[in-house]
Amino acid sequence: MSWDYLFVQAANGAVIGVIYALIAVGVTLIFSILKIVNFAHGDLYMLGGYCAYYVIEYLGVPPLLAMVVAMAALFVGAIVLERLMLTPLYSDATERKDEYGLIVTFGLAYFLRNSAVIAFGPFPLKPPSFIPGVQRLGNLIVTNDRLVAAGVGIVLIAALLYFMKRTIWGQALDAVSQSRDSAAIVGINARRFNSFAFGIGAALAAAAGALVAPIFSLAPDMGVLPNIHAYVIVILGGMGSVSGSIIAGLLLGESENLFTAFFPDPTRAFAYTNAFGVLVLMVVLVFRPQGLFGRRHLRME
Amino acid sequence: MRGLPVYVLLVVAALALVGADRLNAYWMHVAIIGMYYGILAASWSLLAGYVGLFSLSHTAFASIGGYTSALLVKWLGIPVLLGMGAGIVMCGVLGGAIGWVCLRMSGPYLAIFTLAFSEIVRITISTEDDVTAGMAGLHTAPLFQSATRLPYFYAAFALLAASLLLMGLLVRSRWGLFLRAIREDEQAASASGVAVARFRILAFAIASAFAGLAGGFYAHYIGIMTPGVGDLDEMAKLVVMTVIGGMERLPTAVGGAFVVEALLEVLRSYGQWRLPLFGVLLLLTMRFARNGLLTPLWLQLVRLGDTRVGPLAAARDVPQKDSAA
Amino acid sequence: MSDGAELVRGVGLVKRFGGIVANDAVDLVVAEGDLVGLIGPNGSGKTTLINVLTGHLEPDGGEVRVRGRRVSGRPPHVYAGMGVARTFQLTQLFGRMTVLENMLVPGLTRPHSRWDEVARRARGYLEFLNLAHLEQLQARNLSGGQQKLLELGRCLMLEPAVLFLDEPFAGVHPRLREELVARIRELHRGGRTFVVVDHDMESILRISRRLVVMARGSKIADGDPAAVRADQTVLAAYAGL
Repeated sequence: MSWDYLFVQAANGAVIGVIYALIAVGVTLIFSILKIVNFAHGDLYMLGGYCAYYVIEYLGVPPLLAMVVAMAALFVGAIVLERLMLTPLYSDATERKDEYGLIVTFGLAYFLRNSAVIAFGPFPLKPPSFIPGVQRLGNLIVTNDRLVAAGVGIVLIAALLYFMKRTIWGQALDAVSQSRDSAAIVGINARRFNSFAFGIGAALAAAAGALVAPIFSLAPDMGVLPNIHAYVIVILGGMGSVSGSIIAGLLLGESENLFTAFFPDPTRAFAYTNAFGVLVLMVVLVFRPQGLFGRRHLRME
Repeated sequence: MRGLPVYVLLVVAALALVGADRLNAYWMHVAIIGMYYGILAASWSLLAGYVGLFSLSHTAFASIGGYTSALLVKWLGIPVLLGMGAGIVMCGVLGGAIGWVCLRMSGPYLAIFTLAFSEIVRITISTEDDVTAGMAGLHTAPLFQSATRLPYFYAAFALLAASLLLMGLLVRSRWGLFLRAIREDEQAASASGVAVARFRILAFAIASAFAGLAGGFYAHYIGIMTPGVGDLDEMAKLVVMTVIGGMERLPTAVGGAFVVEALLEVLRSYGQWRLPLFGVLLLLTMRFARNGLLTPLWLQLVRLGDTRVGPLAAARDVPQKDSAA
Repeated sequence: MSDGAELVRGVGLVKRFGGIVANDAVDLVVAEGDLVGLIGPNGSGKTTLINVLTGHLEPDGGEVRVRGRRVSGRPPHVYAGMGVARTFQLTQLFGRMTVLENMLVPGLTRPHSRWDEVARRARGYLEFLNLAHLEQLQARNLSGGQQKLLELGRCLMLEPAVLFLDEPFAGVHPRLREELVARIRELHRGGRTFVVVDHDMESILRISRRLVVMARGSKIADGDPAAVRADQTVLAAYAGL
């Protein structure tokens, strides 16, 4: 194995790490406000990718703009889903909310995945590149699409951090995540923030889907593994901490790609790369059985 | 007529047995697959409905049971029944181990953990194709040398009936009471003297063993095992069946499996559309009929059978026999 | 103080939560025949102490002995099996099980118990607690006070030697509170030992034979209620937080 190959894998790992972080931040946001683990998050990511693809195909919009359209569409679509399906979570009359949130988001994932097979077909689709071509740095070659994905991903996460820390809406969201009742007392309508958080989480997932589409191409079941990876990151990343999620996302992306590089049997390396992240999840859960999100609110350090 | 629901079930069973040879091959196949899902749905409801352990690795255990049996029969040339037995033991042990590992997890964390486990099983089976034949599928020895499906129908029927009998005895025993107590409040159950850890592991082992039984039968009936038997979509289908029927009672869970499997066939002309349709049905059930669509029917049946009124009727929920302890 | 045989003994119990020391080397002996009132300001470590003494929390230091046998580190059901029962600060019943089933669970965990015998005993206790007419009701449909009574009944099904009651009077209607006090007294006369935590000082003082006072994780007084009430450190702990 050459050093060059290792560097390429490391660079790819960093890009994937940013994408993972983008998905994980959404899971964190939704968990801290709605107190549910969203099993359908990977499918929102998938929908975002397809949405961007069709906007490019039929409207001839440039890819980056298409990503923004996909984000907006998923923001609205997710709020509709949340209004239709998740409102019982906020009612005292609903019993066993954990179970309700779990089955409903799991059912939603099943619905979205199978609808996607019908709507988009089972075969992989690949949208055009953001910027065709590659960048060379010595022997290190990275495609422009990967650079764009990482760059835009970082910008989006930074924008979210800024939004949470510096704007009144972000502050209110943070307040709701810490205590619903106290937030209500100071006049914040917590219900509106449920929708808002779910929408933002979905929009971030959509962005991630649109960003990876030219790299890995789209498939209806593309969301399953990133969804699992998002949990790994949320657990590893220090329980509801956004910056922790970013570091954990990078770590997971890196270790996965290096795992591929070092796996002795190259024909199986790729298949087991997916299993690797899943295995990390299992191990982490054994040691943090309910500490996943430990403190049940956001931290924006 | 306290036993009315039981009598009704017996009559239905008798009709099914007598009428079986009139079914054409196609519907007989549907019935056999329905019974396969019936065993899975009942044992999953034992875990998710009675104990509150929302495991997403149930179909993965069916897959493990099927592959274990198929491979042992292939390698060692042992009789199919012995292979199925080995599959059951394998799943029981592995299920107990998973139950032990996730003792301190609950709710969504347990679901994530078991989802991760089933993904690993699926990926391993797909990747190790020199052993499992991977996505191409592993050819399995048939359970019966028979030109018709009738023996399989009777076998599936017997397995389902035996499974339901065993699980029914379990949930009506003191163990069943302890399992429900654990679902309601683990801390209070342990303060009441229930060995929570032991019963959680036991529940996982028993439910997984039944999944292994179903999987073993499926493998030697259908003739080919693929990684898809244990994948996420199969698990989702099982959740759909069990939740739509009613996950907190064995008969409603099995009924859900039958109804959904039959509907899937009736609606076959709709092709791919059926799956999201059942997704919607699941969501609607959760939203508007949380206890399942068959639960009210079942309760009505129980009520019809309960002719006693007043204080006497109050005693009905205390079984007089203690079968498991 | 009672001169009965020692039932539960905590030796140098330490429990920390992060940087907070909830129990700081607490020694407590509960002997047969005791009726202990465990009081102290909020956050003084009373509930933590009960959780440690009944096996729901593992102590970071020290040990718990039941009838002289070291049990700390074992799961709660072992304590229950040795006759140590408890209720919870916020009532924890098996909500979607009937009142009778709630009673059956602890009864049937006893070795060699028979279903009909346990059911008979359960009905006896439900009679005693005035809950008999509700036995087919789901536990979650009971009123707050009835839930407290049922939780007490569930403890009794273990035929425990000692019962730890965590805030049994909190949020209970005054009439039911009277009933609860009467039942506890009756059970105590029948030979059961109690440790009762509550903020309702009046009820505590009415029933206690011995008063233990906690403050800031330590036991600061232990003895005859009259003597403890006159103790200056106790007054200081309550007044000068």
